[in-house]
Amino acid sequence: MKFSATKEKLLEGLQQVQNVVSTRTTLPILSNVLLQAKEGAVHLTTTDLDVGVRGSFEANVDKTGATTLPARRLFTIIRELPSSEISVEVDGKNAASIRSGQSFFKILGLPEEEFPPLPKFENAKVVTMRQKDLHDGLRKTAYAISTDETRYVLNGVLFSFKENKLTLVATDGRRLAMLDIELEFPRSHEADIIVPTKAVTELQRLLKDDGEVKISVGSGQIAFDLNNTLLVSKLIEGNYPNYKQVIPSEAKERVTLERETFLNSLRRVSLLASDKSNSIKLNFSKNNIEITANTPEVGEAKESLPVAYKGRDFSIAFNPEFLMAPLRNLTEDEVFFDLIDEMSPGVLKIQTPFLYVLMPMRVSS
Amino acid sequence: MDERCKALWEKLSAALKPQVSADTFKRWFSAVELTKATDDELTFHVPNNIYQFWIESNHMTALQSAITDAVGAPRTVRFLTAESDDDNDFSAPEARKTNGSGHSKTVGLGLSLNPRNTFESFVVGPNNQIAHAACLAVAQAPARTYNPLFIYGGVGLGKTHLMQAIGQYLWAKKKTSKVMYLSSELFINEFIDAIQHNTLVKFRKRYRQADLLLIDDIQFLAGKERSQEEFFHTFNTLFDGHKQIVLSSDRPASEIANLEHRLVSRFEWGLTAELQPPDIETRLAILRKKARALEIKLHDDVYQFLATRIRSNVRRLEGALMRVASFASLSGKELTQETIEHLLKDILLEERRQTVTIEQIQRKVAEHFDVRLADMTSKRRPASIAFPRQVAMYLARELTKASLNEIGDAFGGRDHGTVLHACKLVKKRMHEQDNIRQTISFIDSALQR
Repeated sequence: MKFSATKEKLLEGLQQVQNVVSTRTTLPILSNVLLQAKEGAVHLTTTDLDVGVRGSFEANVDKTGATTLPARRLFTIIRELPSSEISVEVDGKNAASIRSGQSFFKILGLPEEEFPPLPKFENAKVVTMRQKDLHDGLRKTAYAISTDETRYVLNGVLFSFKENKLTLVATDGRRLAMLDIELEFPRSHEADIIVPTKAVTELQRLLKDDGEVKISVGSGQIAFDLNNTLLVSKLIEGNYPNYKQVIPSEAKERVTLERETFLNSLRRVSLLASDKSNSIKLNFSKNNIEITANTPEVGEAKESLPVAYKGRDFSIAFNPEFLMAPLRNLTEDEVFFDLIDEMSPGVLKIQTPFLYVLMPMRVSS
Repeated sequence: MDERCKALWEKLSAALKPQVSADTFKRWFSAVELTKATDDELTFHVPNNIYQFWIESNHMTALQSAITDAVGAPRTVRFLTAESDDDNDFSAPEARKTNGSGHSKTVGLGLSLNPRNTFESFVVGPNNQIAHAACLAVAQAPARTYNPLFIYGGVGLGKTHLMQAIGQYLWAKKKTSKVMYLSSELFINEFIDAIQHNTLVKFRKRYRQADLLLIDDIQFLAGKERSQEEFFHTFNTLFDGHKQIVLSSDRPASEIANLEHRLVSRFEWGLTAELQPPDIETRLAILRKKARALEIKLHDDVYQFLATRIRSNVRRLEGALMRVASFASLSGKELTQETIEHLLKDILLEERRQTVTIEQIQRKVAEHFDVRLADMTSKRRPASIAFPRQVAMYLARELTKASLNEIGDAFGGRDHGTVLHACKLVKKRMHEQDNIRQTISFIDSALQR
């Protein structure tokens, strides 16, 4: 196999796939990237057996063929090469000679037959949607995924296809983020599936703001086809908890907040929230929220935020990180904050179907 | 829900209500049932896992203080969901199913235990009965009966299996217990690392906090003085803190050369259990169990053949089974005695080397040349006796690991030079005379069957 390509194209191609490369050393082949040189393009595939990505880049292919090369090493070499024209030639023993300007590298690979093939999707249920919608949806929910491995069903985002709607849900037991996307699909395609964190992270990197994504759901696995890139992943088996139970029914008070102003205030005040209690307090009074934090033996911070508020005076405490996470990931200028009392969860909403439920922290008054 | 639980739950609810909002109580606690109450544990039944997740994350302090109010002391709280009745709460960790990326850690308990190595998958026979019973006793009541427990035996007899089974048993029973499983080599490496990076305190803390310390292949500590000293202190700390220690080795503690006496005596303190090679029935049982686990179906003769021919080592036995089974499924051919023998050529050869004794050789040779067995060791040396004796010496040299002196001794106290001479002579005559070579190779193969 022999091809030449520009450094930019090669790097771009490798960047798409290299994050998946396994750090597990048990199977050496998994730290390799599969290169398949075909007419006018080289296809790249990596997998860690849970998640797999296939991408490609344009190249002048002189001789078709395939091999696998150590992904990280290849990437670092290509990145350091001085000239923009790079030629790669692989001999029958899977040794790759890389030439660029005055530089020459030879790295040893493994035969392509050893590379585990990506799963096939037959009789899969296929749904097509805009990449932008999915990108936006994941951005607004994925930060709430649980990292607690004993609650493995929460280690991913729920994709719930129901009644011409795709609902994305993520929760870690203290907070929950949920978002609906309008989508048309036949009734037979209704399903609840859990996509693991790693696949979600990779997907967020790959999704663009234009074009479409074709989602194929097979048994125990899912594929996202982004025209020139393909991501496949195993699904988390198990039942996602009944998240609807978490959402409070009616709100007593609603305040409308400017997202960025609110976020900046929180960020400043949280500088003095202690690591231990890690809470900041919101004191509501007429047309004002006072945000406070204090750590004994360190100091305290206070900031006032004028808002339209006519309800009763009360205080509620939250984990600042959990309150800032959605504010950072939302894009809207305005958010609504619904509250009941100091012991009930607060709910952040925006104009479109999204909500974020956050449990307050107990404060000794 | 029996009457007692019902009454207790009412008390609990009353104590809980003022602590959470009315909406929270209605939403999360109205569907909860108290199903079991013991002196140290309360089991709550919840409709599904979101109740468990949410209550655990958000309302545990309220629940615990309500419990303290109602019964006077804190209790361990356990949740049971309708979905998980037969799934994740009680069963061993390998029952947890997921394909999530972080999953492998859950299965390995984060301590590199092979989930296959459990008590259930261990085949008990007369050879390992005591060791198995001791391990089970330790797993059920750590640090009570046998502490430390010292298991020893040859390669592939199940030392590691038993140790890991203890770890998994304990972990499955109590998820919070700190189980540490490692080989002594890893211990030494980490110790060296700790010295290098000046993190000895961290290193000590790590090991001395374990509830159960399992150290495999302790014989590698031999000759490593500072590691031994460090281990000695770790051992003492754990032992004094009534934590269970389990050690394994390929030989009894007293036979490990270059091991400090204070360690040897400590190792012999608790219970020492030996693992011996399995007898034929146990070997058959192991094969069948393994075959069932791997969903292999083979003819009874094949099991019989493998069990008879491979005696010394369970790992090798399982390897042979795998090889035969994969050949059968890949080629789809009928398995005859010849194909199996051909397949397992190397394993069988290795087996023979270990099992042929000098005595067997003498018997076979005497039988073949029609001389008395006593002639093998007698001082008489007419050619009709001397040559068979030399052949036997030659075979003993080839087929056993005995030294020249040992062979000499076995042949009536002869000098090692005599043995060497015999070997040379036989080799020479084998080279010169075809019929002698044939005779010897015939005896050789007869011995190895």
